[in-house]
Amino acid sequence: MFTRRSLVLTAGLAALLGAQDKSPAIQVTGAVKQELTLTADDLAKMPRATVKTSSNGMETVYEGVWLHEVLKRAGVPQGSELRNKALASYVLAQAQDGYEVVFSLAELDPSFIDNEILLADTANGKPLFGAQGRFRLVVPKDKPGARSIRMLSRLEVVELRK
Amino acid sequence: MIPRKPVPCWYKRLLYGLALSAGLMPVSIAGDFQWDVPQGFPRPFVPADNPMSAAKVQLGRYLFYDKRISVNGTESCASCHRQELAFTDGRAHAEGATGALHPRSSMSLVNVAYEAYFTWANPALASLEEQALVPMLGGDPVELGLKGREQEFLATLRSDPVYQGLFPSAFPNEANPYSLGNVTKAIAAFERSIVSMRSPYDRYRWGGDPSAISDAAKRGEIIFSSSERGGCFRCHGGWNFNSGVRFEGSEPPRSGRFAGFFNTAVTTYAAPNRGLFEYTHKPEDIGRFRVPSLRNIAVTGPYMHDGSLATLEAVIDHYAAGGRMHDPNKSDLIRPLNLREADKRDLIEFLKSLTDEEMLHDPRWSDPRGETRPGYRSTGSPRR
Repeated sequence: MFTRRSLVLTAGLAALLGAQDKSPAIQVTGAVKQELTLTADDLAKMPRATVKTSSNGMETVYEGVWLHEVLKRAGVPQGSELRNKALASYVLAQAQDGYEVVFSLAELDPSFIDNEILLADTANGKPLFGAQGRFRLVVPKDKPGARSIRMLSRLEVVELRK
Repeated sequence: MIPRKPVPCWYKRLLYGLALSAGLMPVSIAGDFQWDVPQGFPRPFVPADNPMSAAKVQLGRYLFYDKRISVNGTESCASCHRQELAFTDGRAHAEGATGALHPRSSMSLVNVAYEAYFTWANPALASLEEQALVPMLGGDPVELGLKGREQEFLATLRSDPVYQGLFPSAFPNEANPYSLGNVTKAIAAFERSIVSMRSPYDRYRWGGDPSAISDAAKRGEIIFSSSERGGCFRCHGGWNFNSGVRFEGSEPPRSGRFAGFFNTAVTTYAAPNRGLFEYTHKPEDIGRFRVPSLRNIAVTGPYMHDGSLATLEAVIDHYAAGGRMHDPNKSDLIRPLNLREADKRDLIEFLKSLTDEEMLHDPRWSDPRGETRPGYRSTGSPRR
């Protein structure tokens, strides 16, 4: 018997497979000044960045947009505005299969730390596809790859203190 | 039409030896071996004391298929590592030359050059050259049964016209290249040469061919790679679908010496199949076995260390149920999965897309004498 969660995940996977060729997009929601729906075309018009990774000896060059640039466009506090209660806020990154990871706003802000977290849409010059999803995060300074979330679909900014 | 009479084996060997002596066969030097590794993949780790050369690989190939390496001339390395089965043997338990059954199943040799550790559960066995001695000399169980006959075997090689060309070519700076150490070096070099990244999935994932695998396999890839669905990638990760590779310029996998061993609750793990425990003697290591690569998995059944799961369907059912035994050492990665029957079929289609059909018949890794084929035995009695 399927749980409600598994049904949601199954529906999500079906939607993923069906939607892979239909302009998939990233939703940026939650405690933001401007909610966003970003397609690959939208990301192509933003400042581009690359990250080179090596996994089991295989090198990959990911290209996309720094995650802090996406958050800046959504009006998330950064730089001098990232203080007090805002420092208790975080980004919940969600994949289409239900997988979730979090990042504090501070660890995404270049004025705090040079963390280089990329919202990637290409690998070695080709659009991401299949199990990678159309979008993913690449977190090269994390030792395990668990937060380099694949099949990224949504970034939700959550305020713990309002 | 008159049937063509088969050319005797000794005649082929004589011709090969004469060709070598006359300089008609290529004589190679160390460093001339060309890896067939697609762009983007790393080259394998090769130990400094056994550099690759074309001649050494060729010598290793002859030795790998030579049944005179066994006590009664009935088995070679290839008997338990058959090319058409991705260098496994299709049996739950490998059978030695004298009929003794190994407690575990033969492991594939494909991409073995990228492994950091060898056999199912021996973390101390980190050299392919050292590993080759186990089936040759081991007595529990007897595999090839060469122990005590080493000098006799080396004398056989020394008197063979084929090897009279191959050994000096492979080890050109040695006055007497006919040694057991060189036999294992050559076999290890041949085994390292068996690299495979030419499956349909390779063409799909890294080769830019979106039609190389079926839609079902594409769905299976997503389930395989999803933490929330199959989570298979957690153990069978990376491009070699195992728990880490060793490659040129790298140290052994960062995951650590014992980290790539898992208890999957597939059996009761009675002696002598207690896995890592046999070497560490720590109770928590009972049942922990090494993660094999999933490349060519569709042709390497039966599955698991003891061959106890006959089909891929049974393997998927095992993992979907979260293991079939209650075991305190079971890895916390083994948990019930919510997989529909359609999901399981998709996973299997994905696993089938990992088969490199070209490798299964690639002449570079076939029997150079053309004698080894399913059912063949030099004694004339077909293998069951």
